[in-house]
Amino acid sequence: MDSKFGWLDKRGVIFYVGVMAETATPQIQPGIVQTIEDKSKSSLEPGYLVICWNDPVNFMDYVTHVFQVVFGWARKKAEFHMLQVHEQGKSVLTRESLEKAEHYVHQLQKYTLHATMERDE
Amino acid sequence: MKLVKATKTRLVFELGQREKRSLPQILKLYPCVPSAHHVLSKSGRLPDAEGNQQLLEEALAEQREENKQLVRALLADPKRFGHTDTGARLSLSPAEVEWLMQVLNDVRVGSWVILGSPDKKPAELNATTAPHFLAMEMAGYFQMQLLEALGRET
Repeated sequence: MDSKFGWLDKRGVIFYVGVMAETATPQIQPGIVQTIEDKSKSSLEPGYLVICWNDPVNFMDYVTHVFQVVFGWARKKAEFHMLQVHEQGKSVLTRESLEKAEHYVHQLQKYTLHATMERDE
Repeated sequence: MKLVKATKTRLVFELGQREKRSLPQILKLYPCVPSAHHVLSKSGRLPDAEGNQQLLEEALAEQREENKQLVRALLADPKRFGHTDTGARLSLSPAEVEWLMQVLNDVRVGSWVILGSPDKKPAELNATTAPHFLAMEMAGYFQMQLLEALGRET
């Protein structure tokens, strides 16, 4: 590839070679590493669904507004999910890690929306 | 309840005599939703489901206390809920509109729960159900005024 920025590539190589240090081989017990990784992986994996359920009491405009505030969505996206709740009985709003899903359910319930989190199976 | 001034930092409403009387009455019903109404998960298949459910209840209880204090402060502050010849003037920041909507919706949903969570408007009202139905409708009315106003701020 002919590039007028070829000099950048060369500088990049020189810089890279110049600063690269020798890396040591990790001396950590494989068993222990595996345990830590498993734990952090399960709590950080986006394996939880945040669901909003239909009810006959919350106003459609109110539900749209809450989705916009809690998730920072544009009105169009918030309305799409609100209509899904209204017409299909529920809408999966997002798929998140355990902690984030909990946070969103707390926020939605502060506005008295019927929202829960479920494990994605 | 009429929006008379809307800026990025302030929303000012004029309330008629009836609205001036009914808004404090509605707000004093808060909190109305029973804590058992809040469920974190339908399936309950979460790690430490009981502990996490308790966390939700604690967070909501904390928020209820905070909102109760804010309601009391709002109604007692003549700069924000001031009396006029025609009724009252209510001055709110956008953040206050947010929590006021939470409070009003709590009263609306809580009244609905007390009515037995009906799918439709009850065919007949009696001395027991009428006040809850009225509270539900009035809370909804004020809520809609606030929602409309948020859409109009400049």
